[in-house]
Amino acid sequence: MNLGVAKRSSRSEGRLLSWLLLPVALIALGPVVRLLLEGVGFGNGLTGDYLADVMSRDSTRKALTHSLVTAAGGTLLSVLIGGAFAFLVALTNVRARGALVFCLMVPMMIPPQITALAWMQVTGPSSVLLKMVGLAPPLGSPQPLHSPGGIILLLGIQHASIVFLTLRAGLRQIPADLVEAARMSGARGLRVWAQIVMPLTLPALGAGAAMAFVTALGNFGIPAMLGIPARYSTLPTLIYQRLVGFGPSALPEVAVLALLIGLVAIAGVLLARWLLARRSHGLVGLSGQPLSISLGRARLPVEIALWSFIAAILVLPMMALLFTSLIPAYGVPLTWANMTFDAWTEALLRQPMTRRAYVNSLGLALGAAAILMAVCLPLAWLMARRPSRATRAIDALVDLPYALPGVVLSIACILAFLDLPFTDLTLYGTIWIILLAYLARFLVVMLRPVQASVGQLDPAMEEAASAAGARLGRRLRTIVLPLAAPAAAAGAILVFLTAVNELTVSALLWSSGTETLGVVIFNLEDSGETIMASAVAMSIVLLIVCLMTGVQLMARRLPKGVVPWQS
Amino acid sequence: MAELIYSGLTKQFDGSAQPALDGIDARIESGEFVALLGPSGCGKTTLLRLTAGFEEPTGGEIRMGDTQVAGPGCFVPPEDRGVGIVFQSYALWPHMTVAGNVSYPLEVRGLARAERARRVEEALSLTGLTEFAHRAPAQLSGGQRQRVALARCLVAEPRAVLLDEPLANLDLALRASMQENFTAFHRRTGATMLYVTHDQGEALALATRVAVMERGRIRQFAAPEVLYSEPADCFVAGFVGDGAVVSASAAGPLGRNGLEVETMGLRVAARSNEALPTHLCIRPEDVSLTDEGGLRARVRGCTYQGGRFRVVLDTGGEDLVAFSRLRLEVGAQVGLRIDRPWAFREPGLSALPARATAHV
Ligand SMILES: Nc1ncnc2c1ncn2[C@@H]1O[C@H](COP(=O)(O)OP(=O)(O)OP(=O)(O)O)[C@@H](O)[C@H]1O
Ligand SMILES: [Mg+2]
Repeated sequence: MNLGVAKRSSRSEGRLLSWLLLPVALIALGPVVRLLLEGVGFGNGLTGDYLADVMSRDSTRKALTHSLVTAAGGTLLSVLIGGAFAFLVALTNVRARGALVFCLMVPMMIPPQITALAWMQVTGPSSVLLKMVGLAPPLGSPQPLHSPGGIILLLGIQHASIVFLTLRAGLRQIPADLVEAARMSGARGLRVWAQIVMPLTLPALGAGAAMAFVTALGNFGIPAMLGIPARYSTLPTLIYQRLVGFGPSALPEVAVLALLIGLVAIAGVLLARWLLARRSHGLVGLSGQPLSISLGRARLPVEIALWSFIAAILVLPMMALLFTSLIPAYGVPLTWANMTFDAWTEALLRQPMTRRAYVNSLGLALGAAAILMAVCLPLAWLMARRPSRATRAIDALVDLPYALPGVVLSIACILAFLDLPFTDLTLYGTIWIILLAYLARFLVVMLRPVQASVGQLDPAMEEAASAAGARLGRRLRTIVLPLAAPAAAAGAILVFLTAVNELTVSALLWSSGTETLGVVIFNLEDSGETIMASAVAMSIVLLIVCLMTGVQLMARRLPKGVVPWQS
Repeated sequence: MAELIYSGLTKQFDGSAQPALDGIDARIESGEFVALLGPSGCGKTTLLRLTAGFEEPTGGEIRMGDTQVAGPGCFVPPEDRGVGIVFQSYALWPHMTVAGNVSYPLEVRGLARAERARRVEEALSLTGLTEFAHRAPAQLSGGQRQRVALARCLVAEPRAVLLDEPLANLDLALRASMQENFTAFHRRTGATMLYVTHDQGEALALATRVAVMERGRIRQFAAPEVLYSEPADCFVAGFVGDGAVVSASAAGPLGRNGLEVETMGLRVAARSNEALPTHLCIRPEDVSLTDEGGLRARVRGCTYQGGRFRVVLDTGGEDLVAFSRLRLEVGAQVGLRIDRPWAFREPGLSALPARATAHV
């Protein structure tokens, strides 16, 4: 037996795998680093004067104020909705919680521009729904949602589930004996809630609010659909308008704006992390049954209220969207006689642009999911079994491209890939830049479930294979892959779902021929083709609900924490 | 099959003050069945994992036959060591059937399908698993899983078989029958086996030699009967078997049959190979309850052990253990005699030449 040679080959296998960290770091973190460098004066020479100039512009300050106002308003609304749902669903004995949670999650998974489009079909003078019940405002009256209030309302609904999920996780950590102890001392009902439950969950609520704020701040679809017609710019829409208006020459300016949102967002993320860390510190070591408070006779009314609310935020806009997609011409009420699928066939089968967008979006989403699946399995294995300073750094930083607002990442990608180093090539305007941006942004969506699954694997499984003579590649293929496959599949579906939905990144990175579904809906609506936009939007919603249901059905076989809306 | 030779083997984990293994020197002959016995945390698993190649030593070397597998500047990974290992958790792959688990090592070695099927069949029938070949591991009982793990380890005909507390998860009855299986298997294959356990009954029953470990060191490495009747130090004397360890000093010269020692104010003839012993290991068999021994004691406890009573006797300072056919009342006074206990010298303790030597 030639042991000496064997030894060398096996070690180099492990080292070979470590090289994976390099492209991962370059693609996931490179653009963000490049943007930061821009901020400190690298590249086109960004001087303090320039910074001061952009910051002191009226448009900048206005957009910043608008961003903060709408994000804060939306967060407040999210906290109210998500908080009420979390307390009722996690603490009380309402029935059909799974279905409630699933329905509350759908708005988050639906792309924001579709949410905006759908709500615009609920209100406004041309609303098919209002016309059918004879409540439509007179023609020519303004769309009430084209206003800061409209933006706040939709942001609030869109991000309620973020608050819900964080708060529910916090509530689950409160052991029942704390409440029982309070009961023994004579406190009851609301008093327990206000004096025991509420103070213990404040950090989780704060963290949820901070995350909702960051997400609202980065939201592009809603302010774009509702704000641009009303000439009400937020920072993301301002960046979009500048870049569309002036092309790459506006890069230095939008880089400053992107850094500005990025800074606010990072502050929010850090605040959320700090709050969550405090929470887990206080309750460590306690265990026991989660709380379950009986609502008694109030249960049915509470359930009716919850489901009516779901109907209002989910069923109503989706119905409006569906109806609009079925009318023959905009402004006509829908009847059995004039119902038509023309817009659907036109959009899905005939229009080259929408067909191209479908191909692009599905291709990008599939490509991103497949590449990330191939990368994340060895990456997660490295992080779990061969931890080093490099893997820990990547582990801590991969959240960044996902947590940062999409516009920030897009600008970072343009800066990084506009001129490829050492070549004359540019990726700007090609589909590859969108793919790279997706890879960077969704890496963490794929990585976390796979990490959870690999982390649960007994290392002895691999050691047994190793003692059986299997080398690293074979162990990964025959032992780790099959056992982590369900989590990887769920992760891939989540990546696919998020990528198909995606507008913000592609809105800044697309060019003719590389448009995505998000961009097409936006453009169709922009050019007055509301019916076709509704048809495309509706088809996407159906696709998303199918995919979500698929994940939901797999949920029981997956490790905890893989499906974001389950815990 | 090959012998295993450890010299100066040391393992220091990052961030822990004490080394997990501290200069292990041992030689395990080809075909031996060796048990590693010791209290929790003494380094048994670590020694096993170093032998398998899952950990790299910080010092010293391991040889298998005439090849060095770990040492300064040399490390053969587990894939190439050709050892089989049975984990305490069994580590069966849940996504493969029983037959799939067992044939995996052969697939890895690239054996032809027919040959593979033949050897899997053989391994399964050896462990009595033929009828379970197509079940998933999750559908087996604990003992059956254990046997799958064993079959998987044996099918590749390893140079040495390492077992880490393979019976710890099984109930008593199953344990006994599995122990018989192990001895039978060892007799049939003649494999070199290294068996970790913290159950001394198991170790003494199964192994041809037992290595008793404490805090990263081997305290004694000997046949079970030697370990029991001639412990090397206080730790082994107290850890293996029942009985008492009392301090003693030499009261006569070392002869062929041992020497005379003084203990508890009494002179006793003891077996020994040590001129200046410091302690006596008094097994229950060495104590007889009789009034002629010149030693009196008070009964402190009496427990029934099936067929006999185990009696703890207080001699005024030292507690001895004896067996009795009759129940004794707690508090009763009995006379006793000590017959040829084992006298040894605790390493690191300097024995004062006893006052009694002057009489000789
Ligand atoms: N991976 C590790 N990192 C750090 N310390 C370790 C590691 N593995 C073991 N140790 C330490 O090394 C010492 C020996 O551990 P080992 O697992 O070999 O004990 P053991 O004899 O098998 O005990 P048990 O009977 O409880 O299984 C212990 O103090 C343990 O804490
Ligand atoms: Mg152990």
